[in-house]
Amino acid sequence: MSTVLHTQAAEAADGAAAGGSPRRRTVFEAEVRGRWWRFALMLVITAVVLVPIAVVAVLAFTPGATSTTTGFTLENFTNVFTQTLASTWLGNSLLVTLVTVVVSVAVAAPAGYVLSRGRSKAVSGYSLLLFVMQSLPVITSVVPLFILFADLGLADHLLGVIIVYVASTMAVATWMMAAYYDSIPVSLEEASWIDGCSVFGSFLRIVLRNSLPGVLSTAIFAFLLAWNDYLVAIVFLRTDVNFTLPIGVESFFQQNTTDWGSVMALAVVMMLPPVAVFATLNRYFSVGGIGGSLAGR
Amino acid sequence: MTTTTNGLAKARRGVTPGGPGRAPAKRHPTSPLRAQATRTFFWLLLPSVLLLVLINGYPLVYAAIQATHSGSLIDAGRFVGLDNFTHVLTSAAFWKAAEFTVVFTIVGVFGSWLVGLGLALLLRTRIPARGVFKILLLLPWVVPIVVSSTAWNWLVATPQSPVPALLHSLGLGTPLFLADPTLAAVTVCVFKVWVSFPFMMMMSASALASVDPSVYEAASMDGAGRRQQFTRITLPLIARSTYISWILMTIFCVNDFPTIYLLTGGGPADATNSLVVFAYRTVFQNFQTGPGVAVAFLMTVTLVVVSAVLYRQIRKSSVE
Repeated sequence: MSTVLHTQAAEAADGAAAGGSPRRRTVFEAEVRGRWWRFALMLVITAVVLVPIAVVAVLAFTPGATSTTTGFTLENFTNVFTQTLASTWLGNSLLVTLVTVVVSVAVAAPAGYVLSRGRSKAVSGYSLLLFVMQSLPVITSVVPLFILFADLGLADHLLGVIIVYVASTMAVATWMMAAYYDSIPVSLEEASWIDGCSVFGSFLRIVLRNSLPGVLSTAIFAFLLAWNDYLVAIVFLRTDVNFTLPIGVESFFQQNTTDWGSVMALAVVMMLPPVAVFATLNRYFSVGGIGGSLAGR
Repeated sequence: MTTTTNGLAKARRGVTPGGPGRAPAKRHPTSPLRAQATRTFFWLLLPSVLLLVLINGYPLVYAAIQATHSGSLIDAGRFVGLDNFTHVLTSAAFWKAAEFTVVFTIVGVFGSWLVGLGLALLLRTRIPARGVFKILLLLPWVVPIVVSSTAWNWLVATPQSPVPALLHSLGLGTPLFLADPTLAAVTVCVFKVWVSFPFMMMMSASALASVDPSVYEAASMDGAGRRQQFTRITLPLIARSTYISWILMTIFCVNDFPTIYLLTGGGPADATNSLVVFAYRTVFQNFQTGPGVAVAFLMTVTLVVVSAVLYRQIRKSSVE
């Protein structure tokens, strides 16, 4: 988990410095000074990096050119929600994302178990296949799927988009689950098998039950992919009542390039859920997991 | 997709529940358990395999058909052999897009890696409110591209936008970040680095966290300076993880669509047309399915070969 990062090296260095008693004070002072210099540096870097995000937040609460009010306002939000389909788009996005997350985890959790515990050539071959599929451009599959879905009545339908999202989360979701299962010792399961538990039983009752952090990081990954996606949505969703937020925001932006307040209000609505998820669950938010799981297989 | 089914048949015969670690698992003495495990594995993997075959495999086959036909989105067209490929491979626009994709990928991978690693190293030292910085700096990666591209548009798009206006008031002229071809390419690359560095920062941070601090103690006792410690200890120890993060970021960059498309739409004068954007515009704006899919197909074949080779490399290095 990337967030559980300790400064053991720095602490070790401090310990070594504290050992030399005559120089102890000055070394300590230098270290404290260095600390504040680095703090100032980080402050500047972070401020610069966050300018575009701050812009969104500030403009969303700033009255537009035609407005009569000044200062802080929620006008842009009421405008967006009363004059556009924003609430429909928000609902669509929430639905698509929720279903994607649930189905991705439901498919990846068992598959990850096989990748973690299976040691045959077939299993590692499947892992390679997942990696290859993962690295392919989405555009290659989107055009054929568009034609297929059009025949099935799934083009311009949220279900079609959900299917594509689940398929595109699958590889990484499966690795993330597998990487988490790797940390659960197989000896626990062996004990249960001796007691007559089935393999499926031990997967469910021992491995999966202890994998909440793994499930959460996989869910967060699927959430971000489905919530933020633009390409799949723009290809498949054609009628405005079926839009998800990304293309809703984009189409609104194309029509109102001067009404920045409303555009940014919609942008705030769109970035709030991922930021909220991330703020509350950030300790499960590990990209290290993606790399680690890839390295482990 | 026959490999998958063959693979599963093999799985049915030979899989054992094995322990974590790379050593081949010891065969469990009770063979009924082994058979049961194989059966269970089959069912556990089935939904995933079905999805892979139907949603990832089928379109690949269909894409191959489309790439050799003169069709559109509604009409399959007639078989034209490799005409689409020769058409694409002899067009200047394709090679220009390929060139931009390479530049975009190199800048995206190494730019975000350098920034990410630098910040991860800084955040490893003692800094007040370190945890807050760590979370705030991940925001560019968390915020949807649609939102951040809108913000970047507001900041740089027109001569009246804040950044050009600021530069103008500093006497640096009024750069047209998205209208000048070279500058637009630079802006898109910088935007990509801004979006991606948090990913690299997280990857680097978790790699750095796994480095045993006692190694540094030993090194400093042997008189190794800070720079030496970094080049001789830190970099080699995180090399494998760095390698993996480069591979992942290369794939992300080559396949990236929204970062480019939402900021510039591939323009001005196709200066920021990457292969994915090129394929998208060919299919959905010029309605030429054949050539568009041919571009995507060429990318696919390249990426399959490259990723299979890289995957082997990762596995090899992880066995050592």
